[in-house]
Amino acid sequence: MQGERIHRYAVATRISHWLWVIAFGALVSSGLQIFNAAPFLDASNTTNTAHHLFALPQPADGSPAVPGWLTIPSYRDLADGRRWHLFFAWIMVICGVTWLISSAIKGNLRELFRSEHGVYNLPQRLSYIVVIFVIAPIIVLSGLALSPGMDAIAHPLTWVFGGRQFARLWHFAGMLALVGFFLVHIFQVLTHGVFNQLNSMITGWYRREA
Amino acid sequence: MKRRLFVASTIATALSACSPIGTALNDNAAFHNLLGSAQALNHLVIGTRGMAKEYRERDISPDFPIDSLPTPTDARYADLAADGFANYKLVVDGAVERRTVFPLAMLERMCNMTQITRHDCVEGWSVIAKWSGVRLGSVLDIVQPRSDARYVVFHCMDKDDQGTPYYESLDLHQARHPQTILAMRMNDAPITPDHGAPVRLKVPTQLGYKSAKWVARIEVVGSYANLYAGSGGYWEDQGYEWYAGI
Repeated sequence: MQGERIHRYAVATRISHWLWVIAFGALVSSGLQIFNAAPFLDASNTTNTAHHLFALPQPADGSPAVPGWLTIPSYRDLADGRRWHLFFAWIMVICGVTWLISSAIKGNLRELFRSEHGVYNLPQRLSYIVVIFVIAPIIVLSGLALSPGMDAIAHPLTWVFGGRQFARLWHFAGMLALVGFFLVHIFQVLTHGVFNQLNSMITGWYRREA
Repeated sequence: MKRRLFVASTIATALSACSPIGTALNDNAAFHNLLGSAQALNHLVIGTRGMAKEYRERDISPDFPIDSLPTPTDARYADLAADGFANYKLVVDGAVERRTVFPLAMLERMCNMTQITRHDCVEGWSVIAKWSGVRLGSVLDIVQPRSDARYVVFHCMDKDDQGTPYYESLDLHQARHPQTILAMRMNDAPITPDHGAPVRLKVPTQLGYKSAKWVARIEVVGSYANLYAGSGGYWEDQGYEWYAGI
């Protein structure tokens, strides 16, 4: 018995979703490449060389702290890691802002806040709201706070995160939270009718269970 | 059990696919150039605006890492250092109306800027130090860049292990920024050889690699394309962005 077909995702949502998948992979991998240049975190404005809050162990053979199979490029290259990161940061932001505006205009955003008879259940709505309105802004703003040029334009931006090194910590923690969301999200998709889910994120049409 | 294995292997595949695909794309010249297009956008949006935050004496970091090419050890530098750099002269030439040689004593008399600012390394670390020196803008006022001048190039005394000298460049707007200085003092003492004695550049609105140490000559140019590998700086020639505000 076939279930009812519903149009679940707008075209802007579908395009943004897959662009985000690419940008997310590029940003995490290139971010870890950048992190390898200073694989430690401090909860202060400046680096606390005497005692870091957190530091990855540096392998004795001189290989990077985060292994190459997790970084872009796979060999050590801070310059190229930055090239990837600063490019895909723009893709992520342009895509995110476009999606947000188009969803707000078309009213799709309301689905996230609708409590009854909505497309999404409560845990879904909560996690999407936290990712879109809490973690994503923290990631973008804490990343910008690392820029000396941005800091010169707006001191409060770096200040609210507790300084430049603290902003690195926020940026890193935000990344871990997004990776956690990603793992749960993939698990959910794979265990709740993966082909129906994938199909709906490509064509927009989702078949409700009969 | 089968489902768990399926889930775990799908996630592992997704995670481990990024690096090889990204590395292959990175080695593609056209894609590599596309990635570089973000630099123009960052320069346009962030640019060099506003003033770097200035800190209090008690914010000064106890240690300042020495993270650059090795301190020069050649005979010329050793001779200069032996006399406390009394014979050091900064040459400023190129596309200027008045080529000028500034002895160290003259630069010291011109000192007109002290700042306690944060040094942000491209690697990610930051430290705060106090710097005193002369505004680069004051030096430019004396030499008077010609109308075809666009960039200020800093030729330095340090070399890498291949013998390639360090150099850097700023555009005239960045060079005339009131916090862009030729520093001679660090934390109330003459700059030590390891920190770039006797004269180093300090550009607190940009990443640390712009703040060239051991400056020997300043050349005003219309374009840096024919200098060294043509990207406007030692690290820029190795793939780092010329615009170092982010």
